[in-house]
Amino acid sequence: MTTPIQAQSPSHAHSHAGGHNLTGMVIFLCSESVIFLAFFAGYAVFKLSAPQWLPAGVEGLEVRTPLINTIILVSSSFVAWFAEIQLQRGRLWAFRGLWLLTMAMGSYFLLGQALEWQGLAFSLSDGVFGGCFYLLTGFHGLHVLTGVLLMALMLARSFRAGNYEGGEAGVASVSLFWHFVDVIWILLFLLIYVWR
Amino acid sequence: MSSSASITPPLRPASHPLPGAPDNWRRFFTFNTDAKVIGIQYIVLALFYLLVGGLLAMVIRGELLTPESDLVDPSVYNGLYTMHGTVMLFLFLFPILNGLNNLLIPPMIGAPDMAFPKLNALAFWLFPLFGTLLMLSFFLPGGPSSSGWWAYPPVSTQNPLGHFINGQFVWIVAVALSGVSSILGAVNFVTTILRMRAPGMGWFRMPIFCWTALAAQIIQLVGLPVLTGGAVMLLFDLSFGTSFFQPEGGGDPMLYQHFFWFYSHPAVYVMVLPVFGIFSELFPVYARKPLFGYPLVALASFAITGLSLIVWVHHMFYSGTPQWMRHLFMFSTMLIAVPTGIKVFAWIATLWRGRLRLTTAMLFCLGGLVNFIFAGITGVMLATVPVDIHVGNTYFVVGHFHYVIFNTITFGVYAAIYHWFPKFTGRLLYEGLGKLHFVLTFVGSTLNFLPMHWAGLMGMPRRVASYDPEFALANVLASLGAFLLGVATIPFLLNLVSSWVRGEKAGPNPWNAIGLEWLLPSPPPLENFEDDVPTVLNAPYGYGLDRPLVADEERYVQRSQRA
Amino acid sequence: MTPLLVAIALAVNLLASLWMQAQVPGWLPVPASAAAPYVDGLFALETAIGTFLFLGCVEVILWSLLFHRSNKYDLDNGDPIEGNTRLEIVWTLIPLVVVMAIAWHTTRVDATLATLGGKERVGGGEQALQVAGRAAAADAGDAGDAGTAGGPIQVIARQWSWEFVYANGVRSTELHLPVDQPAAFELVSLDVIHGFFIPAFRLKQDILPGSVIRYRLTPTRVGRYRLRDSMFSGGYFAANQSDVVVESEADFRRWLQEAAARPLAPSWNAAQESYRRRLERGDRGWAVVPPAPPPMVNVGLDPEAAHEG
Repeated sequence: MTTPIQAQSPSHAHSHAGGHNLTGMVIFLCSESVIFLAFFAGYAVFKLSAPQWLPAGVEGLEVRTPLINTIILVSSSFVAWFAEIQLQRGRLWAFRGLWLLTMAMGSYFLLGQALEWQGLAFSLSDGVFGGCFYLLTGFHGLHVLTGVLLMALMLARSFRAGNYEGGEAGVASVSLFWHFVDVIWILLFLLIYVWR
Repeated sequence: MSSSASITPPLRPASHPLPGAPDNWRRFFTFNTDAKVIGIQYIVLALFYLLVGGLLAMVIRGELLTPESDLVDPSVYNGLYTMHGTVMLFLFLFPILNGLNNLLIPPMIGAPDMAFPKLNALAFWLFPLFGTLLMLSFFLPGGPSSSGWWAYPPVSTQNPLGHFINGQFVWIVAVALSGVSSILGAVNFVTTILRMRAPGMGWFRMPIFCWTALAAQIIQLVGLPVLTGGAVMLLFDLSFGTSFFQPEGGGDPMLYQHFFWFYSHPAVYVMVLPVFGIFSELFPVYARKPLFGYPLVALASFAITGLSLIVWVHHMFYSGTPQWMRHLFMFSTMLIAVPTGIKVFAWIATLWRGRLRLTTAMLFCLGGLVNFIFAGITGVMLATVPVDIHVGNTYFVVGHFHYVIFNTITFGVYAAIYHWFPKFTGRLLYEGLGKLHFVLTFVGSTLNFLPMHWAGLMGMPRRVASYDPEFALANVLASLGAFLLGVATIPFLLNLVSSWVRGEKAGPNPWNAIGLEWLLPSPPPLENFEDDVPTVLNAPYGYGLDRPLVADEERYVQRSQRA
Repeated sequence: MTPLLVAIALAVNLLASLWMQAQVPGWLPVPASAAAPYVDGLFALETAIGTFLFLGCVEVILWSLLFHRSNKYDLDNGDPIEGNTRLEIVWTLIPLVVVMAIAWHTTRVDATLATLGGKERVGGGEQALQVAGRAAAADAGDAGDAGTAGGPIQVIARQWSWEFVYANGVRSTELHLPVDQPAAFELVSLDVIHGFFIPAFRLKQDILPGSVIRYRLTPTRVGRYRLRDSMFSGGYFAANQSDVVVESEADFRRWLQEAAARPLAPSWNAAQESYRRRLERGDRGWAVVPPAPPPMVNVGLDPEAAHEG
């Protein structure tokens, strides 16, 4: 556990594999962002052209609690970033603690989302707005859940001796995924909660 | 290193024996991460589904032999043509092209395998999964999806029997899984081409097949997610009571069309670009001449990628699109003719003053080229709005796209198989059967799809189970051509099976071609060049230019002959 | 490959292209609308250009096939030409100019063909019908469309029938139009997307549920032509056909009067017949939406009537 991560030069294949991982994740995220963009575009088109946008009896969305959730989710990206720095400096326990904190913040966000869903006055099938709202937030939530699970995997791997010699690319990739999920949420929040 | 001549090739442990050898067929049914095994898995399963799609086509053409709907119930006909299109696109064409990518890309760039071998195997094994799902949908009460491969709502969300699990539901799930598999594959292919090229292989020393593969896979990455998004929304409308595309709930059926075509138009370039790559690879070999204008041909691939993403509304000229939108997309669609034309003229110039050898692979390339010129011309016709208003949604379009998909793309796939079969199996295909396959296919496909253009001009709509008597002649000719195509597959399959089992052994370079893959033994070892990757010195296709492709080329030639 | 040979080939190709252009009318239904000659002319021009290009390419390929073959066991290389920048520029620029010219010419043709009116969004088929009805009544005073009895004709598409409602209340499953007079339509669908396609007119417009689409055209030739559903609408969509009868103004007025006097009755409907036969055979087949009841009309469909184009 005190094995320095970058002390030995990584083998040919390892460093290549790490580079491949990061490239692959970047390419994958570019593609994932397109599906969100497609949903965003659909949302915008519906909002601008639907004769009856909000379901009957719905005035708007409550913004305060989602805003708090947003702040927590976005902050968790910084926490993840600090965790990565700790890993690069070889401080494994600091890494694990901050990584776990990120996961906790992500889980809190998911919980907040679920509670919000429970308290809403409209359902999935309430007009186009209902469909769009649940589809967008649900699809995003699925990505948050995936991120948390991937982080758990990285956390478990960190207990394997010698695993991170040249293998930090896994953490870097998951971190990138997490930042992606956060940026998407910011756009989503602006689109759904802020744009009237 | 003069001592290298006395080093014998290293013996490999038996866990991954040489790909292609028929005595270890079991590994093709396992989660094998070797790109060459995965490539063959894709190709063989895709050829099986070609037969399934072809069988569906036989029933369709049987029905259309006579004007009345008298062979099968119209509801059955609708399911048959829907599944014919779905099977041919998602279970034959996309997978077989992915199979070729797996086989060809690593050796062509001097890489040992793909960047993510496990992801590669995962992407493959999704294929039998969604393929089986689609086949099982035939047995659901109510039958498979019957709304066309477009699945336009509201027809696709009508669900007459009201069951939760219905043909359309399974179709959407299968297509979504196919999208996931393709995206995973695209991440792999793009990473591999970007990061794993041999030393010295700059962009303009890379074979065109890799250029076009890269261009095509980028389209997949950008376009597929939009289709997936539209499919998810369709699924929700069908099964969970949402109204994205239902007017009664405030939705808009036109939005689905935009989502659908934003991917599905570029999708046709995903299919045709690799075949452009195949033509660009094969014409130099069989004309023994450099590819004319290689740098421009390479760059044209990306021009096609870019343009393909801004033309999709030409599928909606007669829907409800405003005039300015139609004109905008007419201009953008016309522009695609330019990079495509660059490639066509380059191939013709490659033939000119070459030394042509009419092998089966070359015949399919030549036939494909001529067919493609015709298909491109009818494409330009379709791009002009007033003509499209008349012939859109008629058999003119059916004729056009089959001329591209079958008479060009499938011809290219056949050419690739005849050309690279010896490399990856170590056996030669019988030329006689190959030429018979070509003649039957060329005649059959021309007879099948050419008359369709006249039927469309005269006003025969597409997807009809019955038609007015004035269309009878065109349909009889088309059906005869289709039956001939069915027969044409027999020499092809016979050739593949018997050559693999007991064909004449192939050397490392039976066509005397220039390329990294031809510096390997046939079939290549597990990790291609292993740890002896050549350094690339020059651009490819250097026929008659007396320049080596790689440093120390003679040593690699010797090495490939000794294995 | 002498210049003389090239000149001969070009001349032959030109003649062949002009010949193909002249064949085009034989490939199309009789032109029966004001739009048809423009569409046919554009298509004929494209056929000529396409023929010229196709023949040129194929001739070069054939020449290579005949005269640039290798001998049987010869492994010699061809001319090691890697490219020719000037030629490549030429074959990039010329197609660019040609396609842009065709596109520009087409926008002018298309402007002449402007048939599409506005598209109004409403929710659901029955609502669309109400909107169309109101719009028809409002337009009744519009002299510009007076040719069709004082107002736009409502076109109601269903799974699987066509119904035409005239401004004076006549309902028919056959579309009658006076020749040489602009006709206005309001296209509505009560269920799924259908396609309003009349090959002889060279016109097609999808009909979207939840929208009312205003459409205009001018028939120019007396005759009976086919109207087909061009957008796949499920089940018995192939049978969703009707006829368009273009007749003189006098004949048209007479038809309208006679139709108004007839009682409403369900029209003969091919989809209904097919469905009935299916039920008689035990409802065997894959899932199909039961057809909507045939429309109640003054004038029904005559399945025996012969059409041209």
